Amino acid sequence: MSRVLVPVEVLDGKTVAPGLMSLLGTMDVTVLGYHVLPEQTPPDQARHQFEERATAALEDLSEEFRAAGGAADHRLVFTHDREQTVRRVADELAANAFAISGMTGDVDDLLVSLSGDVAVDRITDFVTELIGDRDIDVTLLLAGDPEAAADDRLETAGTQLREAGIDTNTSTAAGSPFDSLMDAAPTHDAIVIGEAAPSLRSLVFGDEAERVAAASVGPVLVVRRDQAPETTDP
Amino acid sequence: MSSEPTGTNIEGESPDAEPVVETDEATITDDAELERTLGLSGGLAIGIGTMIGAGIFVFPGLAGAEVGTAATVSFGIGGVIALLVALPTSELATAMPKSGGGYYFISRGLGTLAGTVIGLSLWIGLVFATAFYLVGLGFYALDALALLGITVGASPGGIVSGIAVVAGIGFTVLNVTGTENAAKLQNGIVALLLSMLVAFLAFGMADAVGLVDAGTPPGEARNVWAVGPIMSVAALVFTSYLGFAQVATVAGEMKSPGRNLPLAMIGSVLIVTAMYVLTIFVATSVFTQDALAAAGETAMVEIGRALLGTPGALVIIIGGLLATMSSANASILSTSRAIYGVSKDALLPGWASRINLKYGTPHVALGLAGGPVIVLAATRQVQLLAEVASFLHLIMYGLMCVALIAIRRDEPAWYDPDFVVPGGPVIPVVGALASFGLIAFMNPLSIGVGIAVIAATAGWYFYYASDIRLKGAL
Repeated sequence: MSRVLVPVEVLDGKTVAPGLMSLLGTMDVTVLGYHVLPEQTPPDQARHQFEERATAALEDLSEEFRAAGGAADHRLVFTHDREQTVRRVADELAANAFAISGMTGDVDDLLVSLSGDVAVDRITDFVTELIGDRDIDVTLLLAGDPEAAADDRLETAGTQLREAGIDTNTSTAAGSPFDSLMDAAPTHDAIVIGEAAPSLRSLVFGDEAERVAAASVGPVLVVRRDQAPETTDP
Repeated sequence: MSSEPTGTNIEGESPDAEPVVETDEATITDDAELERTLGLSGGLAIGIGTMIGAGIFVFPGLAGAEVGTAATVSFGIGGVIALLVALPTSELATAMPKSGGGYYFISRGLGTLAGTVIGLSLWIGLVFATAFYLVGLGFYALDALALLGITVGASPGGIVSGIAVVAGIGFTVLNVTGTENAAKLQNGIVALLLSMLVAFLAFGMADAVGLVDAGTPPGEARNVWAVGPIMSVAALVFTSYLGFAQVATVAGEMKSPGRNLPLAMIGSVLIVTAMYVLTIFVATSVFTQDALAAAGETAMVEIGRALLGTPGALVIIIGGLLATMSSANASILSTSRAIYGVSKDALLPGWASRINLKYGTPHVALGLAGGPVIVLAATRQVQLLAEVASFLHLIMYGLMCVALIAIRRDEPAWYDPDFVVPGGPVIPVVGALASFGLIAFMNPLSIGVGIAVIAATAGWYFYYASDIRLKGAL
């Protein structure tokens, strides 16, 4: 089974929407409770003070995930750098995706973006496994100039999903990937995107996934790229 | 020898000991992980950022006024002693990459009494050092006002104290309420300072050896090549070398500690030593001793003016403000680590390391750092503040070398450093002797204040925590 990492800022009273919990019912879930500290505060000092409270909250969350159907465990990290922590734990667990929680009820319609330089196979496989035999509809979205797309990713992915018994629509849009995704988001309950290769643009404007999550109300699932063999810093 | 700390303090609190697994990326306890987020550049920025403010921007005038160009030797001696201690500290830090630095090594190597004395002295030593940096900041701010054409009237000293106190309050409040990550800013400031200094020193060297003529006044500082004065200047300026131990206080947060801690500590000492020796050489080539004495703490501004005119003075003033701020801020940051390390072992009450719920910052520890800093900064006693800070750090340095020898002899099962000081006991023995020896060249008043602090901290141990056993525990 694939593993999904669900980072939660546990001490800020953040929680996970019930709709996301049941959506992930087909997956192994690791709830990553994290607490970001200002640099004045040694992480160990925060652990000393907050560990019990955070662990109790995480145990409750994992229990709710299990009640929603999936296998769930949890980890707790005190850190100065949220992104570094999510990346490290996702690597250690070889997680296929991570979730950015948002508000949603039951998920009936899933919006899947195939725009840009993303691993289409991995996204399609992930969505197939995520939905399983549940009655969730999928919209595949490809933005940008359709002539420029050298591959027929939309058709290939659509065929694969339909063969798995999933009700699938395909849709193209001429605008930028981000704007097209935001236009389509209101009529869907959750979004699946692929992790983009780090680019100059992501350095300047922030991670694409974070921008999508900030702009859409519902949860966002980010399918990770194939992780290159571990290059260890000497 | 037990592998866990035991005993309780008089309030019944016992050391918080939890078995941990250290990896290159995190510290893993039973229920939680602590992410290591500082890289090599972050470590170097803490080391260099703490040190460079004092050595480049405050001491050249004071040291050059005493012994002229011979002060290059004083700075060189300081650098050699710092290196002799940085090597053993690196070995200890790679075996025990924990918050608290020197305190942690000494309490585990030499026991609770030495640990308490050093833990509390490290806190107070950092307080003296921070006050010293803030007074330096005050002098530079005064020069900045003068350059802007603002005259300050009859009592410039009062203005310096006022600025130092306001800056002290400001840094403390910023550290309690600021949740922005200033680490990247600190890295940028250090990079900017280093490039400014390299350019400035290159031009100064060219002038000093006669390649270019900036029209600096003829004549050099009269040089005093005698052991006594050179050593006493070395003891004074040793405050310029305190930063590498601050790197050890954040050892618990360094990525790949086995590699990055030795590189950050030894690297920062080597880099600042080279910068200091060059700076003092340029300073004493440009000005005579009398001129340096007259210019005092901000002699570098006058040197900048002599070499490059008003723009030169401006560059040095901006550099001096940035450097003293970065030194003060980095020291306040390590002070809260030092207090946490001691309080975790129940040598201070647990409330000393409480975290503020609103800001997530250790407000009590920061207050315990900032409060006394403000009082000391108001005294404006540059030499006394610097020497007491050096005294307390030198005691710690000497004992760290002794702790290394003791731990190597006892060989606890957990002792497995990634970095080993070559040459057996030679370097730690010479490092300890040099550290204790340098104290003898200090001003008697500084030595007196230092001894009083040590006596008070030892008294605290017997009153509060004599039941706690830390030796040999991990």
